[in-house]
Amino acid sequence: MASTIIQFKNVTKQYGQDPVVLDNVSFEIEKGKFYTLLGPSGCGKTTILRLIAGFTEPTSGEIFFNGKKVNDIPANKRQVNTVFQDYALFPHLNVYENVAFGLRIKKMKKSEIDKKVKEALSFVNLNGYEDRDIQDMSGGQKQRVAIARAIVNEPEVILLDEPLSALDLKLRYQMQYELRELQRRLGITFIFVTHDQEEALAMSDEIFVINKGKIQQSGTPNDIYDEPINRFVADFIGESNIIQGTMIEDYVVEFAGKRFACVDKGMERNEPIEVVLRPEDLEITSPDQGLIQIKVISQLFRGVHYEILGVDEQGNEWMVHSTKKAQVGMEIGLRFEPEAIHVMRFNESEEEFDKRLESYTEDESDGK
Amino acid sequence: MENKTRTLYMIPYIGWIILFVVAPIALVVYYSFFDIHGNFTVGNYGKFFTPVYLKMAISSFWYAFLITIISLAAAYPTAYLLTKTKHKQLWLLLIIVPSWVNLLLKAYAFIGIFGAHGAANQFLDIIGIGTKQLLFTDFSFVFVSVYIFIPFMILPIFNALDNLNPSLLDATKDLGASKWTTFRRVILPLTLNGVKSGIQVVFIPSLSLFMLTRLIAGNRVITLGTAIEQHFLVTQDWGMGSTIAVFLIIAMFLIMALTGFRRRGA
Ligand SMILES: Nc1ncnc2c1ncn2[C@@H]1O[C@H](COP(=O)(O)OP(=O)(O)O)[C@@H](O)[C@H]1O
Ligand SMILES: [Mg+2]
Repeated sequence: MASTIIQFKNVTKQYGQDPVVLDNVSFEIEKGKFYTLLGPSGCGKTTILRLIAGFTEPTSGEIFFNGKKVNDIPANKRQVNTVFQDYALFPHLNVYENVAFGLRIKKMKKSEIDKKVKEALSFVNLNGYEDRDIQDMSGGQKQRVAIARAIVNEPEVILLDEPLSALDLKLRYQMQYELRELQRRLGITFIFVTHDQEEALAMSDEIFVINKGKIQQSGTPNDIYDEPINRFVADFIGESNIIQGTMIEDYVVEFAGKRFACVDKGMERNEPIEVVLRPEDLEITSPDQGLIQIKVISQLFRGVHYEILGVDEQGNEWMVHSTKKAQVGMEIGLRFEPEAIHVMRFNESEEEFDKRLESYTEDESDGK
Repeated sequence: MENKTRTLYMIPYIGWIILFVVAPIALVVYYSFFDIHGNFTVGNYGKFFTPVYLKMAISSFWYAFLITIISLAAAYPTAYLLTKTKHKQLWLLLIIVPSWVNLLLKAYAFIGIFGAHGAANQFLDIIGIGTKQLLFTDFSFVFVSVYIFIPFMILPIFNALDNLNPSLLDATKDLGASKWTTFRRVILPLTLNGVKSGIQVVFIPSLSLFMLTRLIAGNRVITLGTAIEQHFLVTQDWGMGSTIAVFLIIAMFLIMALTGFRRRGA
């Protein structure tokens, strides 16, 4: 059912003698889903979009669109449309003509153009703005015009390059809902670029976490949040406590000077690893009831919860999100479930990582 | 208080405008109402609409038009290529430098080049075409004028092209446009202001060229500029000279109105 629409096979991109921008990247995009490319500034997100759109060519590797190699197909012949980071609306044309631009190039009939433009504008809630000059539109409205200009062509894929980053917080939240809703209604594949992890988690069916021109991890927002593959992903997505430790044996891990039961297995005995514990998975107790004891060094009220920072005896720093208050200088205990511990191996590839995680679920279904 | 200082600052500016813009124009208009003997008359205006002067006017407009069109046709692609070069500011400077050389010097240089034994004729000889009369022709007049004016055409067009947001060009490609459509529907409309500025700074001075008409065109081309010079310096008919100048000024304002002011999408 779910068919692949875009595929990258070992794509590398390098400008002149500069360091590689994309390093042997391979992935598949399925029809009709909302994808997000997430990563810090300069990691190569825009470059991936430009390769899909055809504005630039890969140095090596192949790009497929609906199973056909498109490396040599120019941008104006590809079935994708882009919503640019700076919107790239035509300043000499009004809203109507901006949206109609692609249809006029296709030499569509006037009446048909009129119908489609009106429809696209109502999709983005801009009825009645047809005759406005682009300069007279606000940031959020320009954003919608840019989206209307893309969807009116009924492409198979829409590429969106940080379309919300120029908007203020409130408008951004609103547009996140609208974009997600729009994608569901249209059923078109969206490839959305952002450096904002919250935005990525909120909107996507699938996230690709990218760093330094490599895809670090791909998966659903839940997968990536709950089971980050490495320190970069754990750190980039949400807040996390990352502690050095040792995998003593299957289901037993040692960190912060103590041994704990966990649900991970499949590592070497006594293999050095890192564990991730999310701040919201830690529960504050009295010191003698806690699995770990920390001394509180600071506390911030974040509205929904308190953000408490502390250090344990070994000097590891711990962040806790709790609705309970603590006192700075006080000693508190921390409790957590074995499921809250997530073990990460060093330099594990995504395939090895996926295989390891799959073996856990098999155990569960065996009724371990 | 603040208003007062502002008025104070305006005084030199207004003074300058009155002394060097308003007063000369007023004087020109004033002189245009006197005949050669110093009697008040409106006859000069009637005389302007006789075949002699109308022919001159048409010829002026025709040559100015030719010079502008040829400059534009050469300048637009040049400016476009310049924006694509690596050291574009350096190239631009090289194109502008000749405009710093005195007009008369450049005219004399061309007399040398286009003369009977000049470089141009030597070249024609070598490639087997044989020597030709180059100097004192329409061709040499238009050629030299274009050479002199072209930097002023390139400069505003270059700036307009250079300021074009490159992601707009990606956007047109993205929406399926061919190169030609991209040029016609996006690049040209968005650089039209540069083209208009270029037309203004080339067409208006071309209308009243007079030195080149004698030096390069050998008085075969008679323009309104030549006529003004003749009336003031030779026939001493300042009234008629001023009348022609009034028409030139009106023409300038018309061209400014046609090409300027109404800016969209700036
Ligand atoms: N045209 C180009 N020439 C040279 N380097 C480029 C070009 N475009 C992008 N880069 C480099 O590629 C890297 C990735 O850029 P980009 O894909 O825009 O990152 P992101 O969108 O993730 O912020 C950056 O280091 C950038 O400097
Ligand atoms: Mg980018």
